[in-house]
Amino acid sequence: MNEWILETNGLSKQLGGRAVVNQLNLQVKQGDIYGFLGPNGAGKTTTIRMLLGLAKPSVGSIRIFGKDLRKERLSILRKVGSLVEYPSYYGHLNAIDNLETVRRLLDVPRSRISEVLEIVRLTKDAKRAVKGYSLGMKQRLGIATALLGQPDLLILDEPTNGLDPAGIQEIRELIKSMPREHGVTILISSHLLAEIEQMATRVGIITKGQMIFQDSIEALRRQAKPTIRISVSRPEEAWRMLLAKGLPVDWDQTRLTVGEVSDRTVASIVAALVQQDHDVYRVEEERVSLEDIFLEITGGEGSL
Amino acid sequence: MSLRILSAELLKIRRKFIWFLIFLGPIGVVGLQAVNFGLRYDYLVGKVYRDDLWGGLIENVTILMVPTLFIGLAILASMVAGIEHQTNSWKQTLALPVTRTQVFTGKFLLNLLLLLVSTTLVAAGTIVLGIVLGFGTGIPYGVLLKACYYPFLAIVPFIALQNWLSVTFQNQAFPLTVGIAGMVVSMFSIRFGDWFPWKWPYLINAAKEPLYSVACGLAFGLVVLAAGLAHFVRKDVK
Ligand SMILES: Nc1ncnc2c1ncn2[C@@H]1O[C@H](COP(=O)(O)OP(=O)(O)OP(=O)(O)O)[C@@H](O)[C@H]1O
Ligand SMILES: [Mg+2]
Repeated sequence: MNEWILETNGLSKQLGGRAVVNQLNLQVKQGDIYGFLGPNGAGKTTTIRMLLGLAKPSVGSIRIFGKDLRKERLSILRKVGSLVEYPSYYGHLNAIDNLETVRRLLDVPRSRISEVLEIVRLTKDAKRAVKGYSLGMKQRLGIATALLGQPDLLILDEPTNGLDPAGIQEIRELIKSMPREHGVTILISSHLLAEIEQMATRVGIITKGQMIFQDSIEALRRQAKPTIRISVSRPEEAWRMLLAKGLPVDWDQTRLTVGEVSDRTVASIVAALVQQDHDVYRVEEERVSLEDIFLEITGGEGSL
Repeated sequence: MSLRILSAELLKIRRKFIWFLIFLGPIGVVGLQAVNFGLRYDYLVGKVYRDDLWGGLIENVTILMVPTLFIGLAILASMVAGIEHQTNSWKQTLALPVTRTQVFTGKFLLNLLLLLVSTTLVAAGTIVLGIVLGFGTGIPYGVLLKACYYPFLAIVPFIALQNWLSVTFQNQAFPLTVGIAGMVVSMFSIRFGDWFPWKWPYLINAAKEPLYSVACGLAFGLVVLAAGLAHFVRKDVK
């Protein structure tokens, strides 16, 4: 038995003569909220299109629920809910009729429609034509559509695109509750780490079509360990002196930093500096945010 | 499954201008013939068609119906596909557990069904008009049904073609141009040989056998449908 609910093998897509997705090995575990991260144009949407059978891979294979997507597309899609890029809807129809057009193809009981409307809290507006909805409501209808077939796997491509902070918060809560309450596995893409770091259990970071990091969110956090920066009157001399005493300091010609930040170490360093008549101007802790790490990993062309 | 797809398609066109179009075409065709026969009543009824009033009316209706079908099917296909293009719903529909073949044939069948409704309305409208004009109740049903449904069958390749084009291109200007050009070409099709597909819906051929035109239309219609399908199932969806 394979532990991955979704797995790609050397997945690649050639578009306009270049590899938009390049040798991707995506691995999603049952019950994961998998954050699929990458800057704009990294190839997230292209990958997701292939996962849904909307585009054919140039090379590589996709297995979902342990089945080959090429061979068992229909039975796989039966248990996958999706929202790609921005929600699709029929503007002249109301929310119920919109869901009904999908329900007729999924063959689930009619009662599912009011259930999913309840989940995304659209029950009150269900009888209004969707073209009059706000973007956030359309997005929620998109999520309701994705949930209609009681999927085991939800694939959401930037579901918070264009939403205000309150809307983002709301969708985030909804997504977080999903694995808990419905046993759903979720793959969610975003170009902002901050947006999904609070809910993701695993992250995959992709840039220029290639996966450059894939592990648990804890593993990513571990890279974000803080450092202490010390400014003194004669830094180079201070560095030599501290090293001679066996204290862990680094000197990069401009900054004196300490990688190990236990209180005891910092105290000894400061004591030594004072004893040797160095003027200590500042001792400050520097925290690298996950976003900084993300920017660093993706080569600086991250979010903004 | 195909039935479920068709029922979903029918739901999608609810409250759309499409239904108006389906009625507008037949009303236009029959209405224009009402004007034609009304204005020239003495000439047409008293002289030209004196021996076969119903036959004359049916002939006139058909002459108008075929070009109307040509333009109508192009507009219809464009509107039916437009429902998916508007908010790019293709990605949602095709990520559902349905085959591409089912989705594409679903659109085709919807077009076919709606045009069948229009054709039937033309037949019904003709009967009403004939009775109003006082042609009596000796309605030649056989002639009437053939005059309406044979062109409909012979025009199937164009339904398949416009459906293919409209589904393929997001911008409907090109499919519509092809459709309009097709209607114009069809009006001069008498000058072409019997091989010319735009001529088939007029049921005119050297053998004077309308069924030949119908057979050509149905056979070639299947070919165009199959070609469209082969393209659609391979294409990447935006
Ligand atoms: N049909 C196409 N032909 C050529 N290049 C394409 C095509 N479609 C997409 N691309 C390119 O592929 C790259 C990846 O696009 P994709 O939409 O997958 O990025 P993304 O990670 O989803 O970005 P975003 O965060 O902006 O949504 C982009 O550089 C884009 O220009
Ligand atoms: Mg994208």
